[in-house]
Amino acid sequence: MLSFLHFLLLIALVACASASSDYHERLLLRPLPQSTLLASFNFRSMESSVAFAQQNFRYFPRSFGQILQHAHTKELHVRFSVGRWDADNWGQRPWHGAREGGTGVELWAWIEAQSEEEAFSRWLTLVNSLSGLFCASLNFIDATKTIRPVMSFVPEGDHANSTSLHLLHGTLPHEVVCTENLTPFLKLLPCKGKAGISSLLDGHKLFDASFQTMAIDVRPVCEGAGGSCVLEMEQTVDMVLDIARSKRPRDDPIPRARPIEEIECDTGKGYNSGDTCYPLDKHAEPAWNLTELFGRPLKGACPLTEETGDDANTLCINTPPERTIQVNTTGKYAETRSASDTLRCYKLPIGAEFDLVLPEQQMTTGLVRAEPQLYAARSINGHGQERGSVQAVIKNPSETDAVEFVYLESLPWFMKPYLHTLRARVDTSSENPVRETYYRPAVDRRRGTHLELRMVIPAGSTLTLTYDFEKAILRYTEYPPDANRGFDVAPAVIRLLAPYQSVDKKGIYLRTTSLLLPLPTPDFSMPYNVIILTSTVMALGFGNIFNLLVRRFVGVDEVPALGAGGLKGVIMGKIERLKAKLGRA
Amino acid sequence: MPPSEGADASSAPKEDAKPSPSSPPSLDAVRLRKQPPPEGRESLWRRRSAIFSFWAVVLCLGLPVWWKTTAIYRADLPLQDMTDWAEGKICKPVFPLRIAVEAPLPPQDAHHLLRTTQHALDDLNEFSAHHLRLMLADPPAPANASQQVVVDGTRNTSDDEDIALSIRLIPVETGATPRSHLQPYSPTLDVYYTPNQIPPPSSTGSPLATFIAHELHKIFAEEQAQLAYLLSTASGGHSSKMKSLSPETSAELQRQSTRALKYAPTYHLTFSLFTPTSTPSAWDIESALRQYVAPLLDSFSAISNFTVDTQVQLYATFSPSIRQPEYDEALKAWTLRKEDLSGFINAAEWPLSPSIGKGPTVNFVLYVPDKTQSPLLVKESGANSWLIPQWGGVAILNPTAPGKDAIVSASLTKEALGPAMHTFSNQLISLLGLPQMPSSLPLRISTLARVRAASLIFSASSTLGALAQVYQKLPSIPVPDSVAKSVDLALAHLQLACDRLREGRFQGALELARIAEGEAEKAFFERSMVGQVYFPDEHKVAVYLPLLGPVAVPLVMAALKELKSGLSALRGR
Repeated sequence: MLSFLHFLLLIALVACASASSDYHERLLLRPLPQSTLLASFNFRSMESSVAFAQQNFRYFPRSFGQILQHAHTKELHVRFSVGRWDADNWGQRPWHGAREGGTGVELWAWIEAQSEEEAFSRWLTLVNSLSGLFCASLNFIDATKTIRPVMSFVPEGDHANSTSLHLLHGTLPHEVVCTENLTPFLKLLPCKGKAGISSLLDGHKLFDASFQTMAIDVRPVCEGAGGSCVLEMEQTVDMVLDIARSKRPRDDPIPRARPIEEIECDTGKGYNSGDTCYPLDKHAEPAWNLTELFGRPLKGACPLTEETGDDANTLCINTPPERTIQVNTTGKYAETRSASDTLRCYKLPIGAEFDLVLPEQQMTTGLVRAEPQLYAARSINGHGQERGSVQAVIKNPSETDAVEFVYLESLPWFMKPYLHTLRARVDTSSENPVRETYYRPAVDRRRGTHLELRMVIPAGSTLTLTYDFEKAILRYTEYPPDANRGFDVAPAVIRLLAPYQSVDKKGIYLRTTSLLLPLPTPDFSMPYNVIILTSTVMALGFGNIFNLLVRRFVGVDEVPALGAGGLKGVIMGKIERLKAKLGRA
Repeated sequence: MPPSEGADASSAPKEDAKPSPSSPPSLDAVRLRKQPPPEGRESLWRRRSAIFSFWAVVLCLGLPVWWKTTAIYRADLPLQDMTDWAEGKICKPVFPLRIAVEAPLPPQDAHHLLRTTQHALDDLNEFSAHHLRLMLADPPAPANASQQVVVDGTRNTSDDEDIALSIRLIPVETGATPRSHLQPYSPTLDVYYTPNQIPPPSSTGSPLATFIAHELHKIFAEEQAQLAYLLSTASGGHSSKMKSLSPETSAELQRQSTRALKYAPTYHLTFSLFTPTSTPSAWDIESALRQYVAPLLDSFSAISNFTVDTQVQLYATFSPSIRQPEYDEALKAWTLRKEDLSGFINAAEWPLSPSIGKGPTVNFVLYVPDKTQSPLLVKESGANSWLIPQWGGVAILNPTAPGKDAIVSASLTKEALGPAMHTFSNQLISLLGLPQMPSSLPLRISTLARVRAASLIFSASSTLGALAQVYQKLPSIPVPDSVAKSVDLALAHLQLACDRLREGRFQGALELARIAEGEAEKAFFERSMVGQVYFPDEHKVAVYLPLLGPVAVPLVMAALKELKSGLSALRGR
């Protein structure tokens, strides 16, 4: 195996583009193990802050810009994510996790305000407006889902007066991200998915991916002190496609077994015969092309991007140099190779379709997969309707460096942690890894728990963090329609502080998966049963007392008969008469 | 026959049933039974009073409590006042306009001139609600009191704003006299005359007075027509004093009024550049706005505020519902059919969402067609711009030199935007409902203020009337106190606005009418009022039926039984 360029550096190379033009886009393709492919789309549009203040929007979308101005938001980060990044197989996260969100929707922003109350009311304005813009239930981010992180997030942009900025963070782990969120996302782009790399984005394929995250980041960028400022909006889509799954034709998506004659059998197996066959694993890189994989062709370059220089190379693919790549286009394109030929970048033709075709190939070399700085997993333990515990396992794979990080939990109010049960253990030492704790307890129906821990893991060890919690019983109307499914708990956010540093201000992050918390659920027909039961009891009591008061009590033989023998007698008489008549007839 | 029957019951019917139903045997059977001891009077009354007291509690306490707790709160509204306003019975808007005259004349002559001009004006005016009053601008020191009364009953020169127009009399020696000149950027009419045209104190008419009267009449003719139209369309008894309008004028006025946006204190203007390709991707909109639009907005600032934003949108395609442009050989141009113009704006794809904040958004769309489809025109008229009523305007910008390279049009210069910006200015003027005449912009704007004040009063009144109707027609909707408060405020402000109109203080009237309109709308669109419209009374009963049913049965049965025995006792007696 040859060692090639570090993925870390590669991302930095892709991200660091000069600010000469106002619109940049780049797609980086990178094959991952198990015949998957990571596609990282990145779109950046710039608007000078003067034009932004005057509401003259060119590359910056007007609807989005007006929301930011209306809510006095100086920096904004929105994430829509589905799926789990499989760090064991896929290695380090794209953008070091800085453009990734927890499952569902995550949103954090720096809002300018004089007081906390004002900041919160502007935050509500912001989430409500964004909810309409992105067709997402962002408006459900209320006080119970909002926290004010202390250590986990730092502003990426250059802010002049940071004292009046308030950071608010909200998550919706239950939100199902779907095609209706992609359409508004594409509309924010200057080329709108009609040209450029965004023409590859198709809702069916994007939301069919094993992992996908869409991110929008708005930040002010100033050049030097007192220099001119621009507002940068970065839109990112990262998706991990299963190549075999994506290549299925849309009109026939059900996988079918091929006829046995077409399968190459492993003749080494003992049971191999004419009718039994174990498919031969050839360990070959699968064949694919862009059109097949993304379900639509790449319609040339977006004409707004730079025409020369590094920024003109809008499509890059990171493969070993020996991998055969054919280009299929009628227009004029250019190919450049960099980083020991592991990164091939293409300048796309304008107005002509472009396709990359990679045939099936037996590889002798591979790329070195960058290992993540930390591995994290979190789960709920325990049983019963009353209590449970959370366990987070964080592993430091490095043999040399101790890692310092911040662990952020934002728990719903109905999951009440007992802080005194918080235990952090490292398997290699007895020292307490927790350096600093920030805790803001929940208030029922008003706010959720906010827990931030600064911890250190020594080299090559595993940290286990556990705490117990109590499950609250909700009011009848507070249950969602699918109450028995359980309640989603937002993913924990981990930010690395040392020794790893990212090249820019974005930081290094990773997120655990979200949790499903089963709560005791009542029988939902209960209120009606209660109404009926109480009514019956009251009516019984009333009837008895009333009858005692108004009835006249006489001897059994003194009961005045209704007609003869009461109601029954009357009916009997009728029947007898009928019988007599029938007998006569 | 089931054997489980009670012994006493089973024997009796068998005997009685055999003979066909005749009453004597069954009566005999009853007579055979042992009679209970006769009930004492005291216990009878006790039982009756028990039943009666239960019923009394149910009727006097239970039902009212139930009714009260499930009733919907409905605040009292001054329904009669609201209906009266809607029918126009309370306020009959009048528009007394003050016109100041600056005359370099001795006071006596000036007053005489005023009086004769006023007479001539009154003779010309057919529309009683709109009345022009002449007065001296700078009254020279104590003049003849009696004449002052003739000129103007109350001398009110305190407020400059309330003077609709100033007339400056300027003596000249040359040129045709009398002649007049209306200043385009101030509400001033210059009248040139030769000194010998001043009417002698003895005469009752003079050519100068008649001339001024005619000029004034001409200037305010359109305003009168607009107001007359407004009064005629508003419901109620205004029709009697309205002057008759010709059908053409009426149609034209209707067209203007349906075009115009509803009045709002703030308008958001959005200028958008749309193109189906990637060029042009930039425009020099900032300086174009500064040159072509900003002066216009400045002059409107007395009436409304404006915010302006702009955007560039590439790859904007037509909606699939309209027919694609066709090439017309005769025009040598691509043409859009007139009936497709309404679908030209692709509302689903083009991001023309309203701006955030109060007030309507006015959209101006500049469409630059594809090079292959240029020039693009409207088939029937060959025009390249049109107005969408109450929404905005569209202009198609065809590159001036067709067939030129894309590089030329990659960015639109201020000069290239000029014609489109002029179109947008005109469209904005008609969208705001500004009259076409007279040529002086401040006069037109003050006309707009009067028309707007009147229309706001009418619309607020009709909203109140509609609210009164809703209140009466839908007894099941709740009406919170806030609605009553808003209605009171609206009525008070309407009255004040009407008074201001009568005093001729139109700016104040506009302000008050705006508040009245806002409060009326707030009352009408109160959110909690619609909450329970679809929650009928049956539901109230349904929820309580499990309780009410079992309780009601013994109560009713006891009452019936008691009534029956009481009646039979009465009959027996």
